[in-house]
Amino acid sequence: MDEEGAIFLIFSLMLILIAFSLLSSFGKGIYPIIAVLILVLGVVMILALNWADFIIMPGITSMLGITFQPANNYYITKRQDAVVKNVSGLFYATGYVTANIFGYLFKEESAPEEDEERLMLAPESYERLVMNIDFPYKFHVISSGMDIQNVRDELEGKRSYQEFEMSRALQGNANEVTITDIQRKMNVVQAKIDRISKGEKPIATLMYIETTAIGVSEKAAFDALEEQVKRLQVAFSAFDLELRRIVGRELYTLFQFNFALPVSFAEEASQFNQQS
Amino acid sequence: MANKIVNFLGLLMVSAMLLIISVVLPVSIMPYFAKLILLLLAVIVDILAFSSRYYAYLLMPILKQRSRHIILSKEDAYWMATSADSILHRNNEDYIATVYISIPLYLSATEMPDEQKLEFSRQVSRLVGIARDPVRFTSQMYVMNKDSYIQQLRDAINLSENEEAELEQKPDASKDAIERVKGKTAMWRNLLDSISKDLSFELISYASVSGVGSKEYEAVSVAQQKARELMSGIGSIFGITPSIITGMQLKKFIEPDSLIPFSTVTEQINKNLEEEVI
Repeated sequence: MDEEGAIFLIFSLMLILIAFSLLSSFGKGIYPIIAVLILVLGVVMILALNWADFIIMPGITSMLGITFQPANNYYITKRQDAVVKNVSGLFYATGYVTANIFGYLFKEESAPEEDEERLMLAPESYERLVMNIDFPYKFHVISSGMDIQNVRDELEGKRSYQEFEMSRALQGNANEVTITDIQRKMNVVQAKIDRISKGEKPIATLMYIETTAIGVSEKAAFDALEEQVKRLQVAFSAFDLELRRIVGRELYTLFQFNFALPVSFAEEASQFNQQS
Repeated sequence: MANKIVNFLGLLMVSAMLLIISVVLPVSIMPYFAKLILLLLAVIVDILAFSSRYYAYLLMPILKQRSRHIILSKEDAYWMATSADSILHRNNEDYIATVYISIPLYLSATEMPDEQKLEFSRQVSRLVGIARDPVRFTSQMYVMNKDSYIQQLRDAINLSENEEAELEQKPDASKDAIERVKGKTAMWRNLLDSISKDLSFELISYASVSGVGSKEYEAVSVAQQKARELMSGIGSIFGITPSIITGMQLKKFIEPDSLIPFSTVTEQINKNLEEEVI
C-alpha cells in the first residue's frame, strides 16, 4: 500500500475507532449492540474496499443496474467490464486485459541465460500469436523512466526490512515455508539492485491488451467480446503473462488513456494498484 | 490530487459532525433510535470518504444525478488540433495533446536467424526504456478497410442492374446485349462475394506521447517536442524513419469503429446471416 492509501485508511478507521470509544452515549440494552454492529460493518466495508474495490464497486453498480457515460457516444456497462460505442446500429464493445511481462521476469528471478533464450523465442511466439488471431486487438506498453537514486534507496530500504523480518523469523522458530518466502522476496529485491548496479535503467511499465468486438445488438457484442478475451488469454499465455480482465475504475482510466496519456509517472502509478 | 484530498477531508468532516451530533445531543431531544440512524449515516459517509480516493469521479455524479444512467461527461472524448497532427482532450483547466508516431517495421521472425531474433528483442527492450516521460508503445491488429472498394463494387452492381432493367423495357433490345449485362452483374456480384468472404487484417506498431498545457497550442507544442525526441530515439534504435500520424489517419488508433470498418463488417455480417439462413 502506498502512503496516500495508508493515510486514507488510517483516517477513515480512526473515525470509527472514536465512535467505538463513545458507545456509552447510545444508552443501554440493545442500542449499543446495534451501534457495535454498525461500526463493525463499517470497518469490514472499508477494509474490503481497500483490498477488493474492483470487485465490490462493479458488484454494486451491476446490482443497481447503473451504467455510465464517460464521453459523448460511449457508455460503460453496469458490470464495468466494457466500454460500448453505438455506430449506426452496430455496437462496438471494448474490453481490457492486464498483461504484465516484466513483473513476471522479476518474480521468477530468472537467470541471464534463461532471459536470453526467452528473448530469442519472443519474436517468433508473437508472430505465431498474430497468425492465430482473427479479430482486432491492441497490445499496449506504457513505460516511464524512473529516478535511479530514488529507486535504489527504496529497494535498499525494502532489503533492510526483509533482512529484519528474516532475523525475526529465524529467532522465532518460523516454519520452512515462511523462511523460503522471505528468502525469495530478498532475492527478487537483490536481483533488482544488481540490475541497477550493472547500469540498467529502471523503468516503470504498465502493459495491457485492448480488444474490440462488434455485434448487431449489445448482447451479440458482449458475447463476441467475452469470446475474444478468452482467446486472447489463451494466445498470450504462451508468454507466461498474468492475464486478468480489467473491470471498474481501471477500465475507465484505460479508456481515457486512448485520448490522453498520463504526463508524469506519479500520476500513472496512482491510477493502478490492484490489477497491474 | 488536491481535489481528492479536499473531497476526502470534506466527507470526513461531515461524518465527524454526524457522529458528534449523535453523541452530544441529549436523549430528550434525540431518542436512541434517531442516534443510531445518525451513527449509520456517519459510517456511510465515512465509507464514502474512503472510497473517494479512487471513486470521486463516480460518487459525486451518482449522488447528484440519482439516475441509472450516470453522465460523467457530455463532451466528445477528444477533438483534432488545428494543425491536424495531434488530438486534444480537456482535463479540468488543462489541455492534453497526444501525438501518434508510426513505427514502420517490416520484419518477420520466421526469416530471422537466432542472433537477429535476440538482437531484435533487445532493440524492443531498448525502445521500451527510451523515454523519461510516460510513452505508450502499441502493436495493433485491425480489420483492413475495404469500405471504399466495397462501395465501388456496390455502385457497379447498381449501375449494371439499372442497365439491365432499362434494356429489358426496350422492345428492340437484343438478347445478346441483355445476356452481356446480366453477365456483368453476376461478375460484380461474385467479386463482392469473394471480397467480403473473409476479413483481412493489418498489423501496425506505433508510439504515443502526451503533453499538457494551459492553452491548446501550448499542449500541442509540448507534445510535439516530446514526439520529436522520441522519434530520434526510435530511429537510432531500429534504423528507420518514424513519422507523425496526421489527419483522419489518427482515427485508426483512437476510434473503435475504425478498427472494424463499417461497410467491410456489415458485408461480412450479412454474408454470415445468409449462410445461417441457407
